[in-house]
Amino acid sequence: MSTAPAAVSAGRASESAPRPPAAVIARRWVARLTMPVLLLLPAMVIIVGLIGYPLVRTVYLSFTDTGLGELIYGGSTWVGLDNFKEVFSDEHLRASLVNTVVFGTLCVIGTMVFGFATALLLNQRLRGNWFFAIAVLLPWAVPAIAASAIFKWLFDSRYGFVNWALVELGFSGFQDYAWFAGRVSAYVAIFITVVWQSFPFIALSLLAGLQTIPKETLHAAAVDGAGPWNRFRLVTLPLLRPIVAVLVVFSTIWDFKIFDQIYVMAAGVPDRAADTAAVAAYREGFALSHYGLGSAVAVVLFLILLVFSLLYVRLIGREGSA
Amino acid sequence: MRKFSVAVVGVVLAAVVAACGGSDDQQTGDKATASDKLSGSISVWIMDPGSPKIQSVVKQYGTDFEAAHPGTKVDIQFVPWAQAHDKFVTAIAGGKVPDVAEMGTTWTPEFADQGGLVEQPQISKGDYVSSLVDAATLNGKVYGKPWYAGARALIYRKDMLQKAGVEAPKTWDDMMAAAKAIKSKVGGGVYPVSFTGLSEHMYLPTIWQAGGQIATQDGETWKSALNTPEAAKALDYYASFYKDGLDPKAAVGWEEPDAQTAFANGDVAMLIAGGWTYNSIIATKPDLEKKIGTELAPAGPSGKNTAFAGGSHLVQFQESKNKDLGAAFVDFMLEPAQLNKFTSEIGFLPGTTDGIKASGYLDDPQRKPFAEQLLDHSAVYPPSPKWGGLEGANIFDGEIQKVMKGQSTGQQAVQELAKKMDEEFAG
Repeated sequence: MSTAPAAVSAGRASESAPRPPAAVIARRWVARLTMPVLLLLPAMVIIVGLIGYPLVRTVYLSFTDTGLGELIYGGSTWVGLDNFKEVFSDEHLRASLVNTVVFGTLCVIGTMVFGFATALLLNQRLRGNWFFAIAVLLPWAVPAIAASAIFKWLFDSRYGFVNWALVELGFSGFQDYAWFAGRVSAYVAIFITVVWQSFPFIALSLLAGLQTIPKETLHAAAVDGAGPWNRFRLVTLPLLRPIVAVLVVFSTIWDFKIFDQIYVMAAGVPDRAADTAAVAAYREGFALSHYGLGSAVAVVLFLILLVFSLLYVRLIGREGSA
Repeated sequence: MRKFSVAVVGVVLAAVVAACGGSDDQQTGDKATASDKLSGSISVWIMDPGSPKIQSVVKQYGTDFEAAHPGTKVDIQFVPWAQAHDKFVTAIAGGKVPDVAEMGTTWTPEFADQGGLVEQPQISKGDYVSSLVDAATLNGKVYGKPWYAGARALIYRKDMLQKAGVEAPKTWDDMMAAAKAIKSKVGGGVYPVSFTGLSEHMYLPTIWQAGGQIATQDGETWKSALNTPEAAKALDYYASFYKDGLDPKAAVGWEEPDAQTAFANGDVAMLIAGGWTYNSIIATKPDLEKKIGTELAPAGPSGKNTAFAGGSHLVQFQESKNKDLGAAFVDFMLEPAQLNKFTSEIGFLPGTTDGIKASGYLDDPQRKPFAEQLLDHSAVYPPSPKWGGLEGANIFDGEIQKVMKGQSTGQQAVQELAKKMDEEFAG
């Protein structure tokens, strides 16, 4: 802290002197660097401690045969790529990766479409829209584990609201329908839960974006004869592209690593066929004490996320600049 | 928050009891001060079988113990069975273990093998149910003290069976016939059974009932004995109820408590359940007491009606900071007076031989089948350190679910299971 005023006074002194001595210049540079580094240090320490260390440790574990005993007492052995070979040869783990990519992508699409629709609706100057804007936020405030438990009950075969409502509406096939007894039907229920929870953030972010679009631009487009769809496609969407890009990347990361909803709702799906990579990694590590293999699943998931995120950023970035 | 308030209530109650305590409390207090003075605090994990009564009895243990030993604190937490195995693993890996815990008998060898548990020195076999001591033994050393035990028998709705015109089933064939009669005659959306996809203690014993074995000891290691026609037949029998629509469609993804809820709600007529479940059901729905009948588990084609002898040990963890206080609390919980309180209220049999004699179960016609089932018609799973891992991995659940859904046959399932078990036993 004491170096900053010194630097300032040194700077002032140099105005009158024709040429400051080298020592003063050097001190000025040190001062200029010290402050930023000092200010960033706490954040750096926290990031390295909370993100860097676990990341490095997970990558390291994925190359070892660490079990519970090795974790407590040490002594794990390096097994090279064996764990990764197992990830792709084991039927259940391979299926969990496919589930992650397919189901995650569907969730991203669902969330974006629903979020966009809600944002456009809220952007209309309708009476009481502020009330709906607040109401839309509520699902986002519900903890994922609580939401999953609630939706599991809503989709319960005998006591659930969903089956009751469907039967009342005349779909009698849903009497005692067991949503979680099959992979596809379980995914339908989980999809609704995930989208319900994640669309508010997307909707409100897009709403903020929509409100920055100058009305003059839209009016001009209307004068030029553009209908509502063309105004959306040719004016609104390109202007929102940077926001959409960021939101798609966020959603991808969230939806590819969903854990709570799958852990709570898909536990009874026969042969655990609906597990995603995050749940498979947890089960492999903590239920089976195969920490090496579990870490390998986590690393593969990390790489998948990295590839998808880079892909999006490049794709959307390029279109934006063209 | 909840944990905190429980602790507060405990402390307040302890103070009240200590203040107004008569000569009884004084005596136990004197006994303790005669030996080493106990102090400090311990955390205790107790499994939660969903019975409100077990919580109050165990909380009372903590309160009484604290009152008898001023200056000590016992923090009791309840962990649902379904999450317990994962929680123990996480706790050991993270170094945040409880001092004392109730542990399922099939897990004790596993955690002992990993070096997580303290060896229990004062075990003499005559005092405890011997199969439960065997289940806690690894390489000749005992790592847990048997607390309680139970075996699942059959409970059924007398009114529904009467309506269907059938007697309580005694064999597999009876069971199937009764189920079909209930399906056609009772109505009201009642399902005859709830055989679930996630309750191994319901389906694995059918292998014994069919005359098969689960695993055999082969010197140091174990070998799967599942790849047999008997085991295949057992899984096919179990799954046939689901396939024939005699079992709720959602049951393939149910845990045991889901089946119990369905029975308590009157949606299911017959349930494989232990005495603790029976107690829990009539505690929540007292009017069911007169409607529920009990019977031994149905016998398979071999004539055996074997059920799984389950139960729990009290264990202490190696990384516990206060092993003396932990040991004292374990011994306190195993005192005959405390055990009697427990068994009468909860519906388990004690793990000590004296406790069983004093329980009076064999004189109560409604509860007699549970005691008979445990004493004469029960067996334990292989006490291998690998067994807990097999349970944790849910390998059995996945295969039985596939048979129930018709995606695989009993024969394919036992073949696959035998392969997976042998891999785990060897690895």
